[in-house]
Amino acid sequence: MATIRSHARVHRNADDVWKVVGDPTRIVQWFPGVTAVTVEDNIRTLTLAAGLPVFEEIVTLDNRMRRFQYRITGPLPVKYHLGTMDVIEDGEPGCLLMYSTEISPDPMAFVLDGVISEGIENLARMLNDHTEDER
Amino acid sequence: MGRKILFITTDQMRYDAIGANGGNVARTPNIDSFAANGISYDRAQPQNVVCMPSRSTMVTGQNVGTHGVWMNGVPLPVESPSVAAVLHDAGYRTALIGKSHFEPLLDPFLRFEENRQGFAGATEGHRGFDHMELATHGAAGFTHYSRFIRKEHPEAIGMFFQVLDGDLEVSDVPGGDSGAPQIKHNAVPRDWYHTDWVADRTISWLDGLKADDDWFCWMSFPDPHHPWDPPESELHRVDWRELDLPVGYPQNQAEREAIIDSKPRHWRLWYDGKLVSNYEAPCKWVPATLTADQIREVNAMAHIENELIDEAIGRVLAAIDAKGWSDDLDIVFTTDHGEFQGDFGLLFKGPYHVDSLMRLPLIWRPAPSAGGGINATARVSKPVGLLDLAPTFCTIAGVQPPEWMEGRPLPIDDADAVARGFERVTTEWDNHQPDGTEIHLRTIMRDNFVCTTYQPGTVHDGTEGELYDLVLDPLQQVNLWDDPERRALRDELLIDLAANFVEPREFRHAEAPV
Repeated sequence: MATIRSHARVHRNADDVWKVVGDPTRIVQWFPGVTAVTVEDNIRTLTLAAGLPVFEEIVTLDNRMRRFQYRITGPLPVKYHLGTMDVIEDGEPGCLLMYSTEISPDPMAFVLDGVISEGIENLARMLNDHTEDER
Repeated sequence: MGRKILFITTDQMRYDAIGANGGNVARTPNIDSFAANGISYDRAQPQNVVCMPSRSTMVTGQNVGTHGVWMNGVPLPVESPSVAAVLHDAGYRTALIGKSHFEPLLDPFLRFEENRQGFAGATEGHRGFDHMELATHGAAGFTHYSRFIRKEHPEAIGMFFQVLDGDLEVSDVPGGDSGAPQIKHNAVPRDWYHTDWVADRTISWLDGLKADDDWFCWMSFPDPHHPWDPPESELHRVDWRELDLPVGYPQNQAEREAIIDSKPRHWRLWYDGKLVSNYEAPCKWVPATLTADQIREVNAMAHIENELIDEAIGRVLAAIDAKGWSDDLDIVFTTDHGEFQGDFGLLFKGPYHVDSLMRLPLIWRPAPSAGGGINATARVSKPVGLLDLAPTFCTIAGVQPPEWMEGRPLPIDDADAVARGFERVTTEWDNHQPDGTEIHLRTIMRDNFVCTTYQPGTVHDGTEGELYDLVLDPLQQVNLWDDPERRALRDELLIDLAANFVEPREFRHAEAPV
């Protein structure tokens, strides 16, 4: 089991940030290589740029804690996965955006680490620039 | 009209693979003809012994510490300098056809330009190449070659060895007649195989040029890198049962293991299957189980692949000749790193700085029209590196090598090498594996000695090293690191290494395992 984590400070209040992070359909705005998304009940389906679908189960959508958790269920070669996004008010101006992942097999961590880091950068930039409603 | 440049690379080829360097199995008459009419470098080394760092050195002319691609999976930034851009700006038409691997191959999110172009079938290139058509070792992935197989011959997808297993690890599934890892008898017809595809696409690109165009074409064959799955129609070329075992393979187990035990401990740990420090070596495979027959069969497969490469080169040369360009054609032939191929009872590659992986074939056949005293046949014994390629291409094109290139134009003979101070070459290894394993090697080759020091990591405490006398011990079986009589020499080499090595400024994120 590998664990990876990315974070960014966002110069917006946590409620504003949670409006984007807590909406599972908005991943298409900031996650690299995602061209389409559908959500039905607790199943999210992404379509990647190469046409590959990714099936996910939404595990947690906690508005009070501002926590979103999901699992990749296929067809990427994943044996175990739990992705967690937290929007944290930590007493500093703005808020902290934390994206943690537990994944097996280990080589998938390499693949996700870079793309998640890029995604978090995209998300923070979009929120800091107040452009989330323009996309 | 200037000189044309055909830069030919293979992947993971040993120095002794070709006839011009003493190889006596694979028939390589075209490559040998470059040596017969040009300059052979008998001590050419990569700056790193895996693909992405080494190829990044070729295209930038920089040390690994400068371009920053310190292990496979770390992409070369798009804004990095490129010799192709220099030549393009000088009026050259530029192309890269075959394996690039400046960016990760395992890219399901299509984050990297080379994969995006391959997936879409776009060929506009980048990094200064006007044209790119890319390939890797099989039908998987997002290269132009995999698109070709997917679109034109989908029935061939399953014919190739499946490199990754269900755990996304490099597969150790046995194959061939001997059950060696990464061998498969591949039913793919020869003209669908990537070696011939690379030659076909190169010829097609050349056909599109005007007669008076100056051009630089990097023709980059993915073989003889594992998996060893050449078209089975070609297996008749070399009967593995008839092959001698490599001279670097001590056949007596006790002798073999004593040699490995004289080296830093990660050698034995890998041999026993207790540590894998390179993703590309199957992590479930135990080298100690490797049999003599498996070594013979792996070698036969590599020889077959090398013959196919040579014949593909011959087709491209004929096409160039038909265009009337031969007299103005410079050819540079090399590879990115070597392969154990049975030496020490090992296969593949990793943090092991011995000649199996570090001594490369490198030949420069200057254009017959070049004159200037560089038409003579020569063998250069002084050390050169792959970082010397980019400034050499600039010189051929009549362009001053930019200051950001850290290599120098290749010497044309030993006298030139001595006059210009080609005394040493350095090679490095750094890796951080997903399981936390870290290994760091710094190596200098000079005065016919190879000296490697190990920086502290998870396996070494920083006191370990290797020192080999290449004259008395050409197979590097006697580690002199702890020999008191060689202490002064060792210290001198380490001081020279420290003075000439470019340390990485940062360890950028690996974005994929490979």
